[in-house]
Amino acid sequence: MKSAILFFAILTVAIPWCAGQNAPSANSSATDVEEWQKQFDQVCSKTQDAMTFSAEELKSLIQKCDALEPQIQKLDETRKKVFLRRLEQCRGLYTYVLESKEKDKK
Amino acid sequence: MKRIVLLAATLALVLPALSSDEGAVKKRRPLPFEYGRVVLNSYSEKSALAPVVFDHWRHRAKFSCRVCHVDIGFAMKAGATGINAADNMRGYYCGTCHNGKSVFDGQTLFQACSKTLSDEDRMRCERCHSYGQSDRGDADFLRFAQALPKERFGNGLDWQQAEELGIIHPADFVPGISIKRKSLTIQQDFALSPKLQGMPDIIFSHKKHTVWNGCELCHPEIFVGVKRGTTRYSMVGIFEGKYCGVCHNTVAFPLTDCQRCHSKPMQAEGKG
Repeated sequence: MKSAILFFAILTVAIPWCAGQNAPSANSSATDVEEWQKQFDQVCSKTQDAMTFSAEELKSLIQKCDALEPQIQKLDETRKKVFLRRLEQCRGLYTYVLESKEKDKK
Repeated sequence: MKRIVLLAATLALVLPALSSDEGAVKKRRPLPFEYGRVVLNSYSEKSALAPVVFDHWRHRAKFSCRVCHVDIGFAMKAGATGINAADNMRGYYCGTCHNGKSVFDGQTLFQACSKTLSDEDRMRCERCHSYGQSDRGDADFLRFAQALPKERFGNGLDWQQAEELGIIHPADFVPGISIKRKSLTIQQDFALSPKLQGMPDIIFSHKKHTVWNGCELCHPEIFVGVKRGTTRYSMVGIFEGKYCGVCHNTVAFPLTDCQRCHSKPMQAEGKG
């Protein structure tokens, strides 16, 4: 009886742990969003407003994108591929708008 | 000896003629249901599967361009993403929606790829890995296109009007993938003057484009120049698939539909 309880307890601990080892799916719930992804969402959710930002705000967003890149490089192959492209698009837009504003000043 | 010389002379004449004919094969204009079709074969044939046939029309009625090309991360050039079955099984790319769980329009979407391969799975594989198989797209497209406003070229459909009339509702947000964004501040439309005299000006509508694409899909990947007038656009470049030609001639209405871009009314001479 004791060994059955022990076996059951091990299973209860081990199964969720093993499940956590797999790469999270794209549709993971809001509670298990990783820190890098929260930062990514925060930085790249502002692309709509890129034209309204000052040069300083744009520079700060570009720096945040640069800080995210090494974290994304550490992800599994699929997520790395997906999020590096998304980051490139997001950073690219901020850089584009910044250059546009700086050229307008001249 | 004479025969050999004659044969050699005949070959010398015929072979270049044949090869030049090959080089001059006229590209067939795609039929409406084929327009926007992309064939993906980065890994399919290496895995003993037929290449994937992706029809844009099946998806663009349901999702904005941005959902797939920004939020999900599909590249703008066929084959450039390098999607593989593992990516789909992890729930990315096609597997973002095609996961056997997501429900759309009351239907559960089939799972894109799986490790098992029963007879049922094989049929599922062939829904996408269908290159070279008998085409069912024609009948599906005719059914789909019946209710939509018509146009002359491409798919033969006016997608913009279809959305304005509320016939299609392309979603711009996929839970778990898209980022919540504020609604877009629409940039003003502007006119571009063509080099060719007598050709009407192009009215570029930011509104039409940003509603489906957002900003980062076009800038800076497709349109690099930051200041108007710095990049010299040409129809040659556009026909080669640059700038507007990235989408217009592949998925969006083709370049043969001149007056949809060159749309500024011409002023009659002598009126003042």
